[in-house]
Amino acid sequence: MAERVDVCIVGSGFGGSISAYRLAELYRAAGTSPSVMVLERGPRHQHTDFRQSMDIDLLSRIYGLVQGNGAQIVVGNGVGGGSNLYLAASLRAPTETFERRDHRPEDGPDRRMWPAQISRSVLDPYYQRVEAALRVQRPTWKQVAKSGGLWAATLAAAGHTCDRVPVAIDLNRCIQAKWCHTGCIYAAKNSVITNYLASAEQLGVQVRPDYEAELITQSSSRPYRYVLTAAQLDNEGPNPTRQPTGNTIQVECKVLILSGGAMGNAPLLMRSRPSLPSLSTQLGKHLGINGDHIAGVEYDEQKVKDLLGLPGYGQFYKGNHITTMSYDWWVGRSGHEYDGKRFTLQEIYLSALAHALYDDARAPSGDPSWWGLQKKQNLSTWNNHIEVLAMVQDTHDGEFLAPPTNGGAEHPNAGPIWVAPFNYQLSDQTIQVREAANQAIKDVVERSGLGRFMKFTFRTANASHPLGGCRMADSKDFGVVDHRNEVFDNEGLFCIDSSAIPTSLGVNPSLTISAVSERAVEQLIARAPDYGLPAAPAGFTPKVPNVILGPHTEPVRSRSDSAIDAKVRSYG
Amino acid sequence: MLARVTCPPATPPGAGIQGRIASLENFEKGIERSPVGGLLSRRQVLQRATVLGLGGLVASALPVAERLINTVEPALADVNLADATLQAVADTMIPGRKTDRTDLGNEIHPKAIAGAHPEPGAVQADALLLFHEPRIGFDALEPAFLTELQTRSLTRGGQFLDLPFDKRVAVCVDGCSASNPTVLVWEAAAAVAFAAFLIAATQENATIDTASGLQVMGHPGTAPNGYADFSYGKKLSRELTANGSLP
Repeated sequence: MAERVDVCIVGSGFGGSISAYRLAELYRAAGTSPSVMVLERGPRHQHTDFRQSMDIDLLSRIYGLVQGNGAQIVVGNGVGGGSNLYLAASLRAPTETFERRDHRPEDGPDRRMWPAQISRSVLDPYYQRVEAALRVQRPTWKQVAKSGGLWAATLAAAGHTCDRVPVAIDLNRCIQAKWCHTGCIYAAKNSVITNYLASAEQLGVQVRPDYEAELITQSSSRPYRYVLTAAQLDNEGPNPTRQPTGNTIQVECKVLILSGGAMGNAPLLMRSRPSLPSLSTQLGKHLGINGDHIAGVEYDEQKVKDLLGLPGYGQFYKGNHITTMSYDWWVGRSGHEYDGKRFTLQEIYLSALAHALYDDARAPSGDPSWWGLQKKQNLSTWNNHIEVLAMVQDTHDGEFLAPPTNGGAEHPNAGPIWVAPFNYQLSDQTIQVREAANQAIKDVVERSGLGRFMKFTFRTANASHPLGGCRMADSKDFGVVDHRNEVFDNEGLFCIDSSAIPTSLGVNPSLTISAVSERAVEQLIARAPDYGLPAAPAGFTPKVPNVILGPHTEPVRSRSDSAIDAKVRSYG
Repeated sequence: MLARVTCPPATPPGAGIQGRIASLENFEKGIERSPVGGLLSRRQVLQRATVLGLGGLVASALPVAERLINTVEPALADVNLADATLQAVADTMIPGRKTDRTDLGNEIHPKAIAGAHPEPGAVQADALLLFHEPRIGFDALEPAFLTELQTRSLTRGGQFLDLPFDKRVAVCVDGCSASNPTVLVWEAAAAVAFAAFLIAATQENATIDTASGLQVMGHPGTAPNGYADFSYGKKLSRELTANGSLP
């Protein structure tokens, strides 16, 4: 017997949490308890469950590294989704992003890639709403990490500009440990478990961890439209298998919102296609990675002193992960002739594991350069590195081939490496714009003579920003959902998350995913009675969600780093 | 603290040709230890090598293999040959100084580390433990990987463990070549070595005092009290935007 709720939401990342909170506001404004359920594949995390550690136990609990053919894509696992792991850079995508016309050659005629109703100016009020909810702050220069400051100074020495990056971090709580990527133990990072989702639960939304959506069928009991079948996963206890327990639940709902992310929504819909025959033929296509392209720079510390007048470096391990970026390869390129050629360059610390992705690039060139002696030499200088994330205007080069047996990916064991049947084959445009970004970084570093450029090794996609698979478009011929994120020809079925984003953005995607989600749920609320949901009363306006930190470690910053800095130097 | 790797008994020294054959059999026993490997016979190993596109390599390696059986030294250590070979692979990917114990106190085969670099490498960072970590899953790839590795090694003059560092590198260059149809398996092996070294994936809350990889990199590891001196504290470039985002 299916449980009945008005709204069922699959996934608890940015899109799912924003939908849950705004709908909860609607129900409360209408004087009733929210009939909203959120299902989440992963377990529930408190800040005290996170660690400043990349041990296999923690990684298995909070991450998925989804292997496809030609790509490895990082996803979040657990209540809060990717927001637990994001590095909190919170930027509005530039105007040109929404006007893009470039695409893969086989991807239809020349056209605007975003729906006509979506532009930067349309999204600005929603961006503002998200910035308020996520408490986005721009760091002062005194809050810019040394690694980010070094990138800014390097760009300046080469005649370029570099901007401080706004972040969704409480910079008063943050003690600059550079461990955002495994979850913030201090609750200083504004992940949705401290705002949207926590507030939604406070208003009465039901969150069920450990349930993975498997299948959607249509309901014949109007006003109910869909029945979702979800499998319980064995995520809890000391030795979870992370496989289905055999228990399933069915949830019958009037509105079904898929917020399982770009790696989750398309496989779920593909598996459900027999019950949803009117889905677009575009389903599962156009999976992108937001143009992510990583590179490294190894600095010569003496030259940092001599040429930049800085007191040295050797401290890649300190400060926020993302603090500065340059738009110099974007601005002044507003015409469509530049579509597919722009990029931004952002200083980033993904994790120490990212080091495996780039070449040492030291002579002799015949030696292996991403492993072996040359690479070892390079590992020894790690704390004099920075890493640069180019966010390029690539094409969405991925395609799901078929849905896996369960969920969005096969879990061959209880670990973080998952496998999904998708292809990722870089287009000529994707390769060319990456090469242009490589050249730009190399030029900047070498013109100022500060260090060596280290190039991304692989002709594959290694990314943490999956987008698309259910992209929004003007018509079903080109996309899966409309500008309101509703699946074409499937009333009451929505994809509100990264899966709807049709192009790479030029900036980190969380703020745009969130702004598009805010707009989508606002449009849904405006038509709520059509779906059998309560009508919004006159004067209903969205509010800023509360900050609810939950259990966490109270941050206490050490007064001096001299002991640890000396230890780092002594080991080196 | 993670459990130590369990090591099978050593091959008796001085066992002559029988010992030599035993050392090869140990290699196969290593293969058989994994669920996939347990299904493999010697013939199947060769067939698998052929399936992997290595037919030509296998054929060219056979004379070397025969010579090898007549010249191999008895196995030298407590770590079985398959594990020793995996350690040698990790040492080729991220070379290190010779040592007999890992960060977590596990044994290192005396021939595994070539000693090509003066600082600790992936073997000391417990790469072998991660190769056998069920949540990584390399055990499923190990039989095919070791078969190909040894086949390629024989064309270079001996078992991988017996090759000098430059020849080990040559074997891995071939394996990691984009034109090798099994390059993904080699990249997986490299990734295990990197994960052991770069992020100390075998240790909970690793620090620069507990993880040799972090020592080499100069990464303090877990930092519960954060940092005070994290910024240059001054404006270092011109900025384009008023608030951080482009219009």
